[in-house]
Amino acid sequence: MEAMNVKITINGKEHSAKVETRQLLVHFIRESAGLTGTHVGCDTSNCGACTVLLDGKPVKSCTVLSAQANGKEVTTIEGLGSIKGMDKLQKAFIKHDGLQCGFCTPGMIMEAHYLLKKNPNASEEEIRSGIDGNLCRCTGYVGIIEAIKSVQNGADNGKA
Amino acid sequence: MERLERFVRGMGQYVDDIKVEHPLYMAVVRSPYARAKLINVKGGVSAADFDAKLASVGEGAQGRDSNPAAHPIFAKGFVNYVGQPVAAVFDEDRYKAEDQLESVDVDYEPLQPVVSPEAAIDFEPIHEGMKSNIISDRYLGKDFADGAEIVLEDRLENHRIATNAIETRGILADFTEGRLIVHVSTQSVFSIKRGLAGTLGLPEEKIRVIQADTGGGFGLKGGLQPEHVIAAYAAMKYKRPVKWIETRIEHLMAANQGRGAIGKMRLYANNSGKILGIKGTIIVDAGAYAEGLAGFAPGFIAHQLTEQYGIKNGYVRAMSVLTNKAPYGPYRGAGRPEAAFFMERMVDMLADRLGMDDAEIRLLNSTDKPFTSPFGMHIEASKPFMEKALEALDYRKMKKSKAGIGFFVLVPGAAPGEGVRLAVKDKKLHVWLGSNQHGQGHDFFIKKLVKEELGIGENEMVIEVPDTDNIRSGIGTWGSRSAMVGGSALVDAARHIKDEVKRKNGKYSKALLLHGNYDYFEFYKFDGEINSFGANLAVAGIGPVNEVRALEVRAFYDVGRALSKEMVKAQIEGGMIQGAGQFIGEGVIYDENGQLLTASISNAGVMRATKAPKCVVKIIENPSDLPDKAKGLGEAPTIGTPIALIRSLEHISGKRFSTTPVRPEDLI
Repeated sequence: MEAMNVKITINGKEHSAKVETRQLLVHFIRESAGLTGTHVGCDTSNCGACTVLLDGKPVKSCTVLSAQANGKEVTTIEGLGSIKGMDKLQKAFIKHDGLQCGFCTPGMIMEAHYLLKKNPNASEEEIRSGIDGNLCRCTGYVGIIEAIKSVQNGADNGKA
Repeated sequence: MERLERFVRGMGQYVDDIKVEHPLYMAVVRSPYARAKLINVKGGVSAADFDAKLASVGEGAQGRDSNPAAHPIFAKGFVNYVGQPVAAVFDEDRYKAEDQLESVDVDYEPLQPVVSPEAAIDFEPIHEGMKSNIISDRYLGKDFADGAEIVLEDRLENHRIATNAIETRGILADFTEGRLIVHVSTQSVFSIKRGLAGTLGLPEEKIRVIQADTGGGFGLKGGLQPEHVIAAYAAMKYKRPVKWIETRIEHLMAANQGRGAIGKMRLYANNSGKILGIKGTIIVDAGAYAEGLAGFAPGFIAHQLTEQYGIKNGYVRAMSVLTNKAPYGPYRGAGRPEAAFFMERMVDMLADRLGMDDAEIRLLNSTDKPFTSPFGMHIEASKPFMEKALEALDYRKMKKSKAGIGFFVLVPGAAPGEGVRLAVKDKKLHVWLGSNQHGQGHDFFIKKLVKEELGIGENEMVIEVPDTDNIRSGIGTWGSRSAMVGGSALVDAARHIKDEVKRKNGKYSKALLLHGNYDYFEFYKFDGEINSFGANLAVAGIGPVNEVRALEVRAFYDVGRALSKEMVKAQIEGGMIQGAGQFIGEGVIYDENGQLLTASISNAGVMRATKAPKCVVKIIENPSDLPDKAKGLGEAPTIGTPIALIRSLEHISGKRFSTTPVRPEDLI
């Protein structure tokens, strides 16, 4: 199998590795960079558990090749918040019961992060539409939508 | 770090996140045929590698019995569903493990499969050594005379559903220093341990099972399955860690599927609307292999068939039948939604026949004193609950929006008790429960109950990961049982340890406990019935291209004492969306050759955010007799939601519906 060198900046840190050309970005993130917060739920772009930002835009990293991300910047769930603590969206997900089993959560938060950046005043309909490609089997989306709204209104203001 | 914080920061430790040195990745060669003779398997690890005594696996059972319908670890002689494991391959690279699937040559001689359970009753037995495909066939209740003014009949069906937790199944097995060490995505570490011991012929003390963070279970992850055994066997064979992470397509074709039940019901009533009795046949689609649960399921449906009604006569034939499909397994609700669907569909049919209001006919058939059904289910008086529910759900007003209503009884899996261990180490109280969380939030009730009983705050306690080396025995998380039975085990153990402190010191204080030397295990036994009432009201809709919609779902449940109101609400909301999913489109569909047509999580109909209905949750808290006063909860919304939604759709469309999901073509 053909191999190539790729260099991908993940959460501000450069990661280089020689990988097979067929390697998926999610496996570069999880295995080459060792960041396991990005999950694989379906391998087919249906569930969104693997959502990361590629040059600022959400992609489903289970259907992007590492080669396609070569030279680009990726933000994963580990890139939000800091050593000191969680960012406001992460706190809001906890406060508003936006997660139960937690498996879809990293992808869901990345998508929500993008959604709020692009459209800070998104209506509930726009929020639902924004996260339509991210499946959650536990919460019924109720807590997730409440969490996103709360950040949007500045209601939580980072203090969960 | 707290569990939820780990999850939102991407620091969960699900099975695939656990790093070990030099793992082997496992990939499984699976049958492309629903039924075929297995002529030859060349390459990979297959049945030929297994000692005969390692040859079958049951739903957490010992798996070494002579049941011809027991699931073999690897197919032997025949394959009986698309996706059945035939061989396994291993590689240090997960991509190369997938490549290696190509290296295994399998010769099949296709046979005619049977897909419908009704057809399977008279079809040739799919397993050698069986006289028919019927694995259980019982009559429940008592026959009664047919003389009623009204007799209504219908054939009702809940199609199969894939459990579809967002984290698929997975296991990491290692064999070191003569012991099998397993990290697994599971609802019960003890089921996995017992199952592995039984199938691998290992003494239980040679096996340690640790729960990894588990990304949802919904029934599937309660027991041992063939892939667990293959991974454990390979870890022993190759003497290195073996990791298997199921792909979604494997999940959809080969993981146990729930629902899949047919009810041919006949309701007897008089012209006033009073129901005199119910008869019928319940047929559960057991899939290709079955031990225990699939045989038990139709009788369990029958047990609760009369729901909240004082119906005096009941007589049901309960059958479970093999077909060439993935094996049957529990899916959130597991028999309870089917029972409510069969009963409530018939009650609605009676209301339509008599032109009676949905609530009126239900009140007429409720009971005003405790009642034991002809199938042996005990309930309290249901009339007071129904009256409160109609008020709380705003039935009169919502009727104008063509809302449907449904009532049900939640029969939780209280038996056979639960294990708990409390131990003081480093001045902290360590808590192990035999039932483990995978989304329910056990830590919320553990913190609350420990604080209440022992005055110990969350900073002075450690909620431990379920690990069979650290707690002697336990059952697991299923059947709406954890808060009620697991919580009660915890309360009972806490009271015991408090008494021990008092005996030693003449009094109890938190400091005396945390500075002492205490280590207490208890297996709390509860075999009684604590059934609870629930009601849902819902409004359905029809979209522009005839698609069925769920617009709003309301709940009113008696949850006993709510140990955390926020968690109760969140659990109900999530369950209502699963119930709504069953109504609007969730299903596993096979063609007449037993080929799977729903091959993605989207095709299988898991609810998306844009389709999810508005949720309104109301509860009442009638404390149970258990030490923690809780009642079952987790499955309630999957029981009540489909019956309320389908009734609303009938009010909107003027048509009768007998099947979930309701598909656009059903509306034409």
